[in-house]
Amino acid sequence: MLFSSIPFLYYFLPAVVLLYVIAPKCIKNSVLLLASLVFYAWGEPKYVVLMTVTIILGYVLGLLIEKYQGKKLSKLFLILSLVIDLGFLAYFKYADFFISNFNAVTGIGVPLLRIALPVGISFYTFQILSYTVDVYRGGVAAQKNIINLATYISLFPQLIAGPIVRYSDIALQLETRTHSFEKVAVGIRRFVIGLGKKILIADVLAGLGTSFAESADKSVVFFWLYSISYALQIYFDFSGYSDMAIGLGKMFGFDFLENFNYPFISGSITEFWRRWHMSLGTWFRDYVYIPLGGNRCSKLRNIFNIFVVWMLTGFWHGASWNFILWGVFFGIALLIEKMWLLKHLKKMKVLNHIYVLVLVLFSFVLFASVDLSQLGANVGGLFGAGGIPFINAETVYYLRSYAVVLVLAIIGATPLVKTVATKIKEKAAGAKIMNVLEPIALVALILVMTAYLVDGSFSPFLYFRF
Amino acid sequence: MTEKIKNIVLTCVMVVLLFGLTLFAWFKPTDDFSDSERRELAKFPAFNAETVFNKDSNKTFMKLFESYSLDQFPLRDKFRTLKSYVAFNVFGHMDNNNIYVEDGYAAQLEYPLNEESLDFATGKFGAIYDKFIKQHGANVYFSIVPDKGYFLAAENGYLALDYSEMFALMQEKMDFADYIDITGELELSDYYKTDTHWKQENLLDVAQKIGAEMGTPLSEKYTQTLLDNPFYGVYYGQSALPLPAEDMYYMTNAMLENCIVYDHQNMRQISIYDMERAFGKDPYEMYLGGNLSVVTIENPSASTDKELVVFRDSFGASLTPLLVEGYKKITVVDIRYVQSALLGSMRDNRTGAPLVDFRNADDVLFIYSTLILNNSNTLR
Repeated sequence: MLFSSIPFLYYFLPAVVLLYVIAPKCIKNSVLLLASLVFYAWGEPKYVVLMTVTIILGYVLGLLIEKYQGKKLSKLFLILSLVIDLGFLAYFKYADFFISNFNAVTGIGVPLLRIALPVGISFYTFQILSYTVDVYRGGVAAQKNIINLATYISLFPQLIAGPIVRYSDIALQLETRTHSFEKVAVGIRRFVIGLGKKILIADVLAGLGTSFAESADKSVVFFWLYSISYALQIYFDFSGYSDMAIGLGKMFGFDFLENFNYPFISGSITEFWRRWHMSLGTWFRDYVYIPLGGNRCSKLRNIFNIFVVWMLTGFWHGASWNFILWGVFFGIALLIEKMWLLKHLKKMKVLNHIYVLVLVLFSFVLFASVDLSQLGANVGGLFGAGGIPFINAETVYYLRSYAVVLVLAIIGATPLVKTVATKIKEKAAGAKIMNVLEPIALVALILVMTAYLVDGSFSPFLYFRF
Repeated sequence: MTEKIKNIVLTCVMVVLLFGLTLFAWFKPTDDFSDSERRELAKFPAFNAETVFNKDSNKTFMKLFESYSLDQFPLRDKFRTLKSYVAFNVFGHMDNNNIYVEDGYAAQLEYPLNEESLDFATGKFGAIYDKFIKQHGANVYFSIVPDKGYFLAAENGYLALDYSEMFALMQEKMDFADYIDITGELELSDYYKTDTHWKQENLLDVAQKIGAEMGTPLSEKYTQTLLDNPFYGVYYGQSALPLPAEDMYYMTNAMLENCIVYDHQNMRQISIYDMERAFGKDPYEMYLGGNLSVVTIENPSASTDKELVVFRDSFGASLTPLLVEGYKKITVVDIRYVQSALLGSMRDNRTGAPLVDFRNADDVLFIYSTLILNNSNTLR
C-alpha cells in the first residue's frame, strides 16, 4: 500500500488510528503489528509468510545469540542469522542478476528464476541484521516479546522504504513511549509535508521524466532539464517518504532518526553522504566498514574497505550494474576527497557546491540508466552528441510547463523555507501569525493532495524496488 | 495562538477533516456513472481468495479497491476541479492531463506526429481500395479534418502536430485518391469550445467544397435548429474546469426529413438526427446515430442517380447530412466498428444485396480527423 493513495489516507490510516487510540496500552503494539501485516499484505499477500518466517528466525536467533553470549555458539548463531537473512535477500533480489551474469560469462543458458521482489526486503533485512549483530555485540538485550520484535521489524511507517531504523534506537520505545498532542501535531505536520513532497513535487516531476523518455525530439537543454528534474524527483520522492515515515512514527509515539538533511547544499561528496539517506550510510559504516577494519589499517586495506562498502551500497539499490557503478563512482569520489581534494573544497565557497551538484547530477544520470548504451546516450545528450539541437519547441514547452515546480523543488531542496520560518517565529507576533497560518496551510495542502490523488492514478514510490 | 493551542487545533482539525472525508467515503451511496467523463465508475470489488490472490496484478482485490476508492471518492468532480485549478494557476502547467485551455477553447495535446499510425490507417484504406473499389472504377477522394490544435496549438506555444508534414505524407500514401483540402474553409470558431468536434451549422462551405471537388455542386438551404439541451463536450469533463455550456444546432429541411436512413448494425430505421441520443450522455451522437458501423441514407428527392460511399469518423457523421442533396444514396461506413476486410461479404438484411455496394458507387470519400489518423489503432 502506498502512503500517497486514497486507500491508505482514507481507509487504512483512520481505521488504524482509531483502533490504536481505543486499544489498551498493553495491546497497542499488537494493533500496530496487525496493521503492519495488513499493510504489507495489501501489496504482496504471499510475502507476508516470508516476512513472518524472517521475524521468527530473527527472534529465535536473537535469543540464542544472547543465551550463548561470549561463547562460540553465539557467533555460530549470528553467522546463521547473516546467512539466512542475506540468503533470502540474495535469492529474492539478486538471483537473476547472478544467473544472467553467469550465463553471459560462461555462455551457458541457465534459465532465470523471474522472482517478484518482495517489497521492502532490503530495508527489513538490514533492520533484522542490525538487531542480531547488536545483540551479539552486547549493545542491546535480546527482545523476549516476539510481538515487540515483530512490531519493530514490520512497523508499517518504515517497512517498505525506510528509514532503516535500528533496533537499538527504538528498543525502549517498543516497551514504553509517550503520546501527546504536541507529538501528534508534529507528526501530522511532518507527514503532510512529506506527502506534499511526494505528490506535488516528485510525482509531478515524474511526468516530465515520462515525457522525456517518450520524446523523439530531444535537445541539449532537454537532457539537462531531465537530469536536474530526475535528481530532484529522487530526492523529493525518497525524502518525502522518510518525512512521512517519521511523521507517522511520531503519531504512534515513536521517534525515528532523520534520514535526509538538505544534501544538495553539501560542499563535498563526503558531506553529501552525511546528509543523504543517512540511515543507510551509517548502517554500512557500522556493520560493514568498521568490521572490515575501517581506516584503522593500512592505506591499501582502507582503500579496499571503501570500495567494498560503496560497491555494496550501489548493489543494495538494485540488482544491476548501473547501481554498482553508481556506488563505485561515489567510492572513487570519496577516496579522491579523502586523499587530497577535501581540504581544498573546505576552503571554497561556491565552486565546491557546483562541484557537488555536477557530480551528483552525473551520478543520477548513471542511476537512471538501465545499461551502458543508455548511459552513453544520456551523458552524450548533455553535450549535444548525435547532432541534437541546443533547444527546440518541445523543450521550451516542457520548460515553461514545469518551471514553477522546478523552482519550488530547488528552493525546497535548500533550508531556505525552514530558515525563514524560524526567523519569523523568533518574534512573538510572527510566531502568532505562523501558528494561525500553519493549520490552515496544512489543511489546504491535504485537500490539494487529495485532489491530485483523486484526479490521478497509481503513483508508485521509486524506492519500492529497493 | 500559542504553540500548545496550535498543536491541539491542528490535531483536531486534521482528525475532523480526515475522519469526516473517511466516513463520507465509506458510507456515501455508490455512483454508477460519471457524466463528466462519460464512463462507468468502479464498484466495490468482490472480496474472496480468488480476487485477493489473483495472479493478474490488475485484477486483485487490492488493485480493484484502489480504482473503487478513486472513482467513488466523495465530491470527486469538485476535487478534480481543484486539482485542475492548482495545476494551471499555482504550478503554471501548460496542460492538465494533456488538456489545455486557450481563448476559452479546451483542446487536447496531440503530439507528436505518429507516422506508424499514418501507415496503419493508409494501409487499411489502401486495402479497401485494392479489394473493393479499384475494380469498379469509382472516383476516390480523401479529406482530412484538422483538430482544434491546428488553429490553437503552435501559435500559443503548445506542442503541436506537424500538420503540413501529416497532410503531405497522407497525400503521398493515398496516391489512389484525390485530396480535398478543407483547411481553407475552417477556422477555430467552427469548433465547439468544450468538445473535439466541429459545428454542423458552420460546415456548409466545407460540404460545398467537397461537393464541388467531387463534381457534385451543393446549394441546398437548411434551417438551423437549436437543440434544447445545453451541450457540454468531452473536454468539459476531461478538463474538470467549469467551462460554460454551449448551444448545439443541427441543420434540417424537408429533403433530409424525407430521407430513409437505415442502421444496419441494429437493423432498424432511424432518422438523420437521433433525438434520443441528442439528450443522452453524448449529444454529438445525434448525428447519424453516433457510433454505428454502417448506415445508408436514401434520398428520394435527389436530382441525380449518383451513389456515394463515405468512410468516416464522428466528424464525418455531422458532415454527411450536408452531402445528401447530391446523391440518391449514401452509404456511411465507420471501420472502427466493423472489420474492413468483411465489407464485401456483408449483405443488406432487407434485400440481400451487398451492404456496401461498390459496384454502383460513383464516388468514394475517405474523411478522417487528424486525431484518428494519428491514433489509428482503432481502425479495423
